[in-house]
Amino acid sequence: MNIYVCIKQVPDTETKIKLNSDNTGIDTAGIKWIMSPYDEFAVEEALRLREKNAGSTVTVLSAGPARVVEAIRTALAMGADHGIHVEIPETADSNMSAKALAGALKKEAKVDIVFTGKEAIDDGAAQVSQLAAEYFGIPCVTVVLGVEYGASLKCKREIEGGAFEMVETPLPAWIAAQKGMNEPRYASLPNIMKAKKKEVKALKAADVGVADSDQKIRFKNFELPPPKQAGKKIAGEPAAQAKELVRLLHEEAKVV
Amino acid sequence: MTWQTFLFILVAGGAFGYSGYRFSILIRLLKAQKGQANRLDQIPARIGTTILNVLGQKAVLQKKAVGIMHATIFWGFIIITIGTLEQFVSTLYAPANFEFIGHTAYSGLVFIQDILTVLVLAAVGYACYRRYIVRPEALGKSKDADLVLAFTASLMVAILLMNGFHILSASPWYQDSMPFSKMLAMILAGMGFGPGSSHVLWLVFKWIHMFLVLGFAMYIPGSKHLHVIAAGPNTFFKTIPREKGMRPINFEDEKVTQYGAAKVTDFSWKDTLDYYACTECGRCQEVCPAHNTQKPLNPKMLIKDLKENLYRNKEKVLAGKYDEVTSVIDENVTDDVIWACTSCRACEIACPVFIEHTDKIYDIRRNLVMMESRFPAEAQTIFKNMETNATPWAFSSADRGKWSEGLSVRTMAEDPKVDVLLWVGCAGSYDDRNKKVLRSFSTLLKKAGVKFAILGTEEQCTGDPARRIGNEYLFQTLAKANIETLNRYEVKRIVTACPHCFNSLKNEYKDFGGNYEVFHHSQYIAKLIGEGKLKPTKGVDETIAYHDSCYLGRWNNVYEDPRQSIQAIPSARLVEIKANHDKSMCCGAGGGRMFLEEKIGKRVNIARTEQALETKASIVAAACPFCMTMITDGVKAKEMSDKVRVMDIAELVDQATP
Repeated sequence: MNIYVCIKQVPDTETKIKLNSDNTGIDTAGIKWIMSPYDEFAVEEALRLREKNAGSTVTVLSAGPARVVEAIRTALAMGADHGIHVEIPETADSNMSAKALAGALKKEAKVDIVFTGKEAIDDGAAQVSQLAAEYFGIPCVTVVLGVEYGASLKCKREIEGGAFEMVETPLPAWIAAQKGMNEPRYASLPNIMKAKKKEVKALKAADVGVADSDQKIRFKNFELPPPKQAGKKIAGEPAAQAKELVRLLHEEAKVV
Repeated sequence: MTWQTFLFILVAGGAFGYSGYRFSILIRLLKAQKGQANRLDQIPARIGTTILNVLGQKAVLQKKAVGIMHATIFWGFIIITIGTLEQFVSTLYAPANFEFIGHTAYSGLVFIQDILTVLVLAAVGYACYRRYIVRPEALGKSKDADLVLAFTASLMVAILLMNGFHILSASPWYQDSMPFSKMLAMILAGMGFGPGSSHVLWLVFKWIHMFLVLGFAMYIPGSKHLHVIAAGPNTFFKTIPREKGMRPINFEDEKVTQYGAAKVTDFSWKDTLDYYACTECGRCQEVCPAHNTQKPLNPKMLIKDLKENLYRNKEKVLAGKYDEVTSVIDENVTDDVIWACTSCRACEIACPVFIEHTDKIYDIRRNLVMMESRFPAEAQTIFKNMETNATPWAFSSADRGKWSEGLSVRTMAEDPKVDVLLWVGCAGSYDDRNKKVLRSFSTLLKKAGVKFAILGTEEQCTGDPARRIGNEYLFQTLAKANIETLNRYEVKRIVTACPHCFNSLKNEYKDFGGNYEVFHHSQYIAKLIGEGKLKPTKGVDETIAYHDSCYLGRWNNVYEDPRQSIQAIPSARLVEIKANHDKSMCCGAGGGRMFLEEKIGKRVNIARTEQALETKASIVAAACPFCMTMITDGVKAKEMSDKVRVMDIAELVDQATP
């Protein structure tokens, strides 16, 4: 099988986000970059599928500025065989990223299955899987917790209300992984060493048919959330407490 | 050639030949080990420690009664063996004996031998009393031990009877120098033995004695009694300094493809010598916090199991078929055994023959982590946090300096001209309770007029938890980054409140080019008090039990500075927990276990807290952030938080210093 995984490099979860000087994005100086955690489930699922199907290969793709090659190396260290980097600007939106990934996949001889995370933890847009699958022309199943592999794929999806649904799709298909699909492995040292020597194919935006006009969203003004307020403790009789809570939710938090 | 000479050559030749063959296999097995161990440095110190611990029996005498028993048997065997040698020589060639050393000297020798024979018999009696009546759990049951005791007792009895009958039949000139044998001879004479029958019986017991000795020689190589041969060399080749760092791996060396020990052959020859030296006394088992809280790790069994693994693979090892050697993890040495270790080193310090248990556990962990990515799931989060944010906890490295807000503590970037660098550590930086300790300590430094600075966001985890869990690669990444920073600021002196950071900075960073004078804060506080720069004049009217941190005490021999700091506080009463100093019990957090779940048996921190509570002290003093967390949790779990507080040395001294 020719297995592909699309990953995104994102700021580490503990990063203290600062805005850039004109508030059009975040200040990337000093940020520790990691592979988006949902994408780790995708990589792990791809590696497990390869282990069950002799002769398969896992290729990792990432679209973004030069730095994202580090994330590709991380996936290679986990055990992926090949890497492809499509260079697109830092400011790229979901549409441009999706088009870049689909464009790169189109250059591949045969694609049997594509994995990705259900969303990236930076913008949390959860757009790229569906858009890219559409551009590439294959079905997409999102928020997948588990797959029964066969002639077709039976995917267990998490849906609202804590329920699950089963979706069946033919191959090739695009699977967007949800947390819990598996336990991603920790790269062994021999694999880390090997990953340093693996080739990462470099593509430019133009090579995959991506133009500036593919960026549909331009960000004008970011704002940091207000600093966290200290918690409030409501005292008194249970009935009075409930009343006060409703009042606060209505008048101060304005959520009910 | 007399019949005796003939028989002796035949029997001794056979026995020594067989014994020698068995020893040659043991030596070949030892030499076939692939790991490296350089133990030929510091020869004078090695000779010194060998004299002290082999001839002087120092480590054995850590336990009094049993130590005296052992020393008696040890010295008895040394001296009696001189007599046995003489016996061998004179059997080969009748006129030969050791009388050439002079009349007085020979009488003295014979006298000591006679006394020691009886003392050894008494010591064997005590050993039997202990093994079969008292039955300490750590000794366990051992057929091997039964046989060795029977052997030893029989040897001594044979010697006495042989000498008794010799006196009766030959009346040797030195017979008055053998009080016990002489007494026995008189009893035997009273029983009606005459010179004729005594001569025959002398010969009989002489041969019984020689057969026993030769039998022993054949038996030793396959027995735990191999320690009589291996313990001496093992003492000579031990790691000399108390402050030992973990052995670094050279990742640049491309010839190395195996990191850590996947198979028993991946250890070094010294590890094999450790197995040979083990006499299964169980002192390690008695003090192991994992074993004592029902974890599957038992340091004594670990060594025995590794030895058995090696023996099981003997043929393959000797044939050089390393590929076919089975895994070091087997039905005895399981993953749970390996992960239970807190690296407290109580086993190593208790071991009378200097077996190094922790290195083996580290080596197995290194293989599991780096080669197989096989470890408790929690460790992955720790590794990832350390990789991205240089701390085992999920906090941003940008927040590292936050603990000092409002204290106007300067960073090295702001002012690198300081007396000492304060190494804060991850616990001091991020753990709410330990932030307070660091605040107290920096306040103290200011009260003493010490010019200090911190690295702030430039500080990273020393890498200790990663190293102890087995991720040497991650440790080295962090260590090298820290050394680069420290050397850039030309740091000479460091003080830290964390014994784990202290140990890494002091004993382990030097392998990567980081050479600093490193103090633990308890040492620094004691020094400042000693110099009169800190004057704790306010009384703290409390009973304080000091809990020794493993990485301060056993790993670095720092026992008195923390105690002196407490004793310097007016009206503070220092009490000792029953298990203290070298015998102190771990809080359960070392060896990376701070960050791993404890799912088997009783919690180590609860067991230790119970010991601390026994003192009825109102304050348990800690000198380590991990101990602080573990004992505080223990006190909470025992519902004693309103009666007992856990405080750091720095907080106590700060409270007492106006």
